[in-house]
Amino acid sequence: MTRQNILTTSQRSVRLSLNNLKIIMEAIKSTFKLYNRNHRGRSCSTQSQDGKVVENPKAARIKLQNDLFNAERLRQEKNVGRIEKITVQYKGQPKDLDLVMNKNLSTPYNCAQHMFEMLVRRSALALVDGEKLWDMHRPLEDNCELQLLHFQDDNPAPVNKAFWRTCSLMLGAVVSSAFKDTIEVILHSFPRPNVRSGSFVYDVEIPSLSSWTPSEKELRVLSAEMVKLSSKNYPLERLAVDEEIASRIFQHNKYKLEQIPAMVEQSPDKSVILYRIGEHIDISRGPVVGNVNFLGRCTITAAHKLKHDSKNFYRFQGVSLPKGIMLNHFAYSVLESRAQKLNKGLLPWQYEDVFQPELQSIEATS
Amino acid sequence: MNHFTNQQPNINLLVSKLRIKVRPKLRQMRYIDGPEMRLKKLRETVTALIKFERIELVYPRADEARGYAERLISEAIRHGDTHKPTMDTVSFWLNEKSLVHKLFKVLVPRYENHQSAYTSLFKAPLMYPRTHRACSVLELKGNPFPPLVFDGSRNKNFIHNVLLDEARKEFKKIQQAEIVAKVSSSEKQNTDSPTNVKKTSNEALSKAAVDVSEGEQLLKSSTVNDEDLDSTLKIQSKTDPVIA
Repeated sequence: MTRQNILTTSQRSVRLSLNNLKIIMEAIKSTFKLYNRNHRGRSCSTQSQDGKVVENPKAARIKLQNDLFNAERLRQEKNVGRIEKITVQYKGQPKDLDLVMNKNLSTPYNCAQHMFEMLVRRSALALVDGEKLWDMHRPLEDNCELQLLHFQDDNPAPVNKAFWRTCSLMLGAVVSSAFKDTIEVILHSFPRPNVRSGSFVYDVEIPSLSSWTPSEKELRVLSAEMVKLSSKNYPLERLAVDEEIASRIFQHNKYKLEQIPAMVEQSPDKSVILYRIGEHIDISRGPVVGNVNFLGRCTITAAHKLKHDSKNFYRFQGVSLPKGIMLNHFAYSVLESRAQKLNKGLLPWQYEDVFQPELQSIEATS
Repeated sequence: MNHFTNQQPNINLLVSKLRIKVRPKLRQMRYIDGPEMRLKKLRETVTALIKFERIELVYPRADEARGYAERLISEAIRHGDTHKPTMDTVSFWLNEKSLVHKLFKVLVPRYENHQSAYTSLFKAPLMYPRTHRACSVLELKGNPFPPLVFDGSRNKNFIHNVLLDEARKEFKKIQQAEIVAKVSSSEKQNTDSPTNVKKTSNEALSKAAVDVSEGEQLLKSSTVNDEDLDSTLKIQSKTDPVIA
């Protein structure tokens, strides 16, 4: 052993405290990064070879959306004011517990964090007072009874539905970022998630592509992008906003702007529910699963051109399984080939009854 | 029948054949009192297994005790509770008198017509910082506790079961439609005896099955066409300069 390797106890303690300091600094940095997540990676403007600054409209749009989202979330958090305590009665495995949490701040996810790591990892959706389906990242509003649902429950139907909806949202995120910057992609919406239809869907308008049939390779890229997105471990952040902010966030998307008033009209508290996956923001009534990493195996199977007189609508669809559910490759290929057929969900121009508020209760499995 | 049968006794009839794979060497279990202590510990484990039906313990001891428990149960099934040597063995391995009754009254009826091993052994995660040794769970099959491993076929509402169920329904619907189409077309062509119709419907059925399997093959064999570089997506591949 060389002399350098031998440390006196005092040196050792100094070094240990230095190490601790390093760990603390790392933690501070990582939290800092978390808050500045929207300014990471994508830059809004790039310097071209001539030295001119070229604006990237897509990135600027995303930055604007995220700034509005962050500001609104901060405002809502400040609005909570004096912190009040609520009692949450957890019912379920491994044992029933009573938790004292913060009103309008603590989420079911926080409750799981206080209890068991296993619950943090597997819980996809919460059930409040035995009837209301609740997102994992939605603050609890009052004293309540809490159950945490997962994919291997006795009745997994609500979680399956939320998973299908999450897949649609993720598909929207992937499709809006996968195309070249020269090709404009306008997200429309997706019909009510139906696992029995065999595929999850997102309807998209691509004005510049009049007759595009995706090649096998392109579909594979989209599938890979879905899996890459799931590996980012983004939580699905939920925010209920009023009409004005929602229309400012979606000022660049004519379809979403059309949908917002209908959603506001039909929601019980006159708000629009936004979900954020990383930097991508979308509208959905929810509920969705807590994190993108629940997505296990996934295939984007087709992008069908829809028959419309003037617009180039494409219906992207795919099939996926949650993490932890394994399926034989042949059985999965049967699911894939079924998901290639055009999904019979409502078409983008058939939405009269789609934005009705959904009964947030467990539906009987038919 | 082979020629050994008359000269050599069938060993399976004399000694119960274990339904698990046994490692020929003793596991590494060192105790200060030597082999006696080792036997004592194994007896404790076997007793606990019969008593609690699911126990968590270090892997080597579980692995070794498992063989003794299997043998004990199979002896009990073979000879019943009136056989003196079996009763001696049982009273040696079970430290509690009440468990002898459990073995013959509960476990023997449970496993009488059982085809595979009576116990199952799982590797369990390490419990940091409690121990660094490999942990395991040893259990009697058919115990009343919730299952340890995920059984995908347990519930028809699991997402993959829902998807597969719908796929099967759709497949059957297509098949039936094809059969109906075939039968109606053949009826138009030749109005022969009803046996002929039945035959054609069978043919149509097999044809439909072949068609579907061909479809599966097409799906699998369809490969990536590398000439098709006219892609609109930005694919992150270095071999592909056209794509951004």
